[in-house]
Amino acid sequence: MGFWLELAASGLITGGIYAVVAIGLNLQYGLMRIMNISHGEFLMLGAYLTWLAHTTLKINPILLLPVVAIAMFLLGVVVYRLCFRRIARAAPTVEVIEARSLLVGFGLMFLVQNTVNLIWGADLRGYSFMAEPVDIGGARFMANRLLVFGFAVAASLGLLALLRWTMIGKAVRAMMQSPTGAQLVGVDTGTLHPVVFGAGLALAGVAGGLLSMVYEISPSMGEPYTVTALIVITLGGLGSAIGSLLGGFLLGLVEAFGMHFTNPSLKMVLSYGVLVAVLVARPKGLFAR
Amino acid sequence: MSLPSPSRMRGVPFALVLTAGGGLVLATLPWLLSDFLLALALSCLMFAALAVSWSMFCGPTNYLSLATSAFFGLGAYVTAWGLESMPYGLTVLVGGLVGAAFAALIGLAVLHLRGAYFAVITFGLTELTLHSVTYLEKTYANTAGRIISEAPENTVIYWTVLAVTLLAIATAILVRASRLGFALSGIGGDEERAQTLGVNTRRVKVIAFSLSAFFPGALGAAMAVRWTYIEPLSVFNPFIGFQTVLIAMVGGAQTLLGPIVSSVFFSLLTEFLRLRFPYAFLIVLGLLLVVLVLYLPGGLASLFVRRGRQHA
Repeated sequence: MGFWLELAASGLITGGIYAVVAIGLNLQYGLMRIMNISHGEFLMLGAYLTWLAHTTLKINPILLLPVVAIAMFLLGVVVYRLCFRRIARAAPTVEVIEARSLLVGFGLMFLVQNTVNLIWGADLRGYSFMAEPVDIGGARFMANRLLVFGFAVAASLGLLALLRWTMIGKAVRAMMQSPTGAQLVGVDTGTLHPVVFGAGLALAGVAGGLLSMVYEISPSMGEPYTVTALIVITLGGLGSAIGSLLGGFLLGLVEAFGMHFTNPSLKMVLSYGVLVAVLVARPKGLFAR
Repeated sequence: MSLPSPSRMRGVPFALVLTAGGGLVLATLPWLLSDFLLALALSCLMFAALAVSWSMFCGPTNYLSLATSAFFGLGAYVTAWGLESMPYGLTVLVGGLVGAAFAALIGLAVLHLRGAYFAVITFGLTELTLHSVTYLEKTYANTAGRIISEAPENTVIYWTVLAVTLLAIATAILVRASRLGFALSGIGGDEERAQTLGVNTRRVKVIAFSLSAFFPGALGAAMAVRWTYIEPLSVFNPFIGFQTVLIAMVGGAQTLLGPIVSSVFFSLLTEFLRLRFPYAFLIVLGLLLVVLVLYLPGGLASLFVRRGRQHA
């Protein structure tokens, strides 16, 4: 019993992180058609900020999470102003926005990853935080992983609540349903787009901060998360936040159980296999009606 | 659907002759250039062929394929598996055919997807191929990579890659002037309208996608002998696909000349930056890419087109 609980829990813990990363990317894509391939790089930046502040100033990393979120949000607004606003305004069709934002995303990926590499080097960095085991129902967990899981779920649910019950959330959902319709009833694209782009980066930064408590960090840590986020978004449906949450947990579980029953070196084959199968059979996502 | 208009056919013989002439000049380079410069020319040629063949399908249709590395890697593995039993030239041909066959197979399965979905799934399929080959090699051949012992001479490799590049350019010229090319632009303009007007869109897309995948497959097989050690992570490297897309789009994927000019531009620029700023060169490259997309969205080709219009 304890063993299965541990396996399921480890799947859900990774799944929670996947969900946070994917929701940020999905909001950006769903609202603005910006396929931000450099999303994982901002996750890595969040991880480095947390690591740097914790190791030099000795601040508790949990207290740093809001600081990282605000810093990344501001960075997101600046990046949006500098890069993506021009694309959104100049492009004639949605497909062109997607293609150009993908290219700019590649540029940003090179830029951010190699800047961090130049400043802090390619070595693995890390610190130990709450690395003591906890017993729950006969299963043993590391305390820091449970913490990460809790925060990941809280961040995702908080965001879903925001989208559902606040005015800005309503505006975002209206904009996803029909950009023209939303503008007609007075939703202001000029403020909504940078805010949502910033929120996406803030989520990526928080996910990075959480990851730095559990794993070692390096400049190239972001890319796999970008890819996983793309898979999760496809599973849950482009533009659907709740789909991303469920998709994240699903992928985490598939990876955990799949690796247990087959072979750890098949992990990537499994994730991509799931992606390809879903896209071929249900291209609009698992939960599409 | 009417026959291609004469105006579209008019430039074809001239373009083909120009390609052949350019090829003859380039074929003399091994006697003129040092080893270093020849290697640089080889990488220009490789990226020119990759970008031209990518634009052949993706340019007119606006489909964004990231599967180039999958075809390239499969071609490279054809050489790794077959070079001991086949001559080098044959492995290049087989590599191209394997790439084309694989593209036809995945094309049948996924070409109904558009936009970001298509980009994501072609990327996913590439990674799936990479990890499947890694797993198969590990379980059945008990190896992580393969050593290529009997490589042909550098000049032979150069001429082979040149031949594939010229073939890619000639094919692109012919496709642009043919009914297939018309149908592809029709699909890019409005897929449903093209279908209503009698284009069998599924067949056209699969044929063109498969045709465009022959070249990365052949190039993979031709270039594999440049590296003495082949492993899945290096030949299925998604970076090859990204770079191809990047070069084609910066050059202007709708045009023929754009990708060629931009592949030379990018190969030289990358080499220059790498020598000049060994640490910061990827940062500069990233910055440049962002600036190019923002301020020259039509690609390098739009510079020439705009100037041409002003004269007219």
